[in-house]
Amino acid sequence: MISCTEFIPAYSELFRYLEKRDGKEAVIGFWHYLSDNFLGNLQETVKKEGLQGCWTYWSRTLSEEAADFKMELDTKKGIFKGTLRRCPSKGRLLKLKHFKAYPDYCGHCDVLYRRVLEPLGFDFYLDMSECDRATCRFYVLRKEDARKSRTESEVRKRRRERRAKIPALTP
Amino acid sequence: MPSHVMSRKASDNEYLHKDFHGALSAGIEYLHTHYGEEAVRDYLREFTRKYYAPLKRAIRQRGLAALKAHFETMYTRERARFRVHLTRDELVISVSACPAITHMKSHGYPVARLFHETTRTVNETLCEGTPFQAELTEYDLETGRSVQRFFRRPR
Repeated sequence: MISCTEFIPAYSELFRYLEKRDGKEAVIGFWHYLSDNFLGNLQETVKKEGLQGCWTYWSRTLSEEAADFKMELDTKKGIFKGTLRRCPSKGRLLKLKHFKAYPDYCGHCDVLYRRVLEPLGFDFYLDMSECDRATCRFYVLRKEDARKSRTESEVRKRRRERRAKIPALTP
Repeated sequence: MPSHVMSRKASDNEYLHKDFHGALSAGIEYLHTHYGEEAVRDYLREFTRKYYAPLKRAIRQRGLAALKAHFETMYTRERARFRVHLTRDELVISVSACPAITHMKSHGYPVARLFHETTRTVNETLCEGTPFQAELTEYDLETGRSVQRFFRRPR
């Protein structure tokens, strides 16, 4: 048996093994398979509870993973935000001096969660810009709210563009 | 203002996310289905050689005592019921039920057809390049009850 506390390196090595066999496409193919076959609990919880289901799901998993995290849920605005100040998985991989982690290890989160949440009417964004320090942020937005905020920002952008053009058109 | 906020430090919780057993099982099944049985063993051998390199070194230096310490830590952490018997040339570990299989079955995760290779292949690979050999003497596919034997390789 491989202990669940040693799963993360086993998972990372599986990505590396698949890539060696069949390239990055094989890794992505496995992530799709895992999303479809392993994240049923996230899917069921979000189906049942909506955005609140993200809170329910991640409050259990991140606690069991002993993550250093902050979660924020704004049901009015339809936004769930997770901040991993120290991702327990990536943090563990970075600590291992004798073991080389799969370079795109963090990529699995983006593929797995997006694939579950988007068909349920949510947008999923993952900011991986600080992954090399085991830090990331993810956002789950109700699609209608995401569209609304996008529309508002587009309107503001167009207004700014119009304002900017006015002096140029004035002789 | 968010309606719910939760903030936790790593030290607030114990690191024990048993659902990971289900994810590993899914990985084993995926490899088996797409690449065949030997790919599962091949992957587990590669993982063991790399990740358990310090343990393999300890086995070469300290013998079966290093393996005993490894399994005691692992099964205690996973809350398994197990017995360990160590003599000069033999280590026998009897596990009444595999904690990974118990968790997967109670939470509805499918158990991969070759999940037992995470015991057999990993143990055999741990012994590679050491004076010892591993044998999975008993293994119940339903519960993961097992008897794992490590013994000095005949000269």
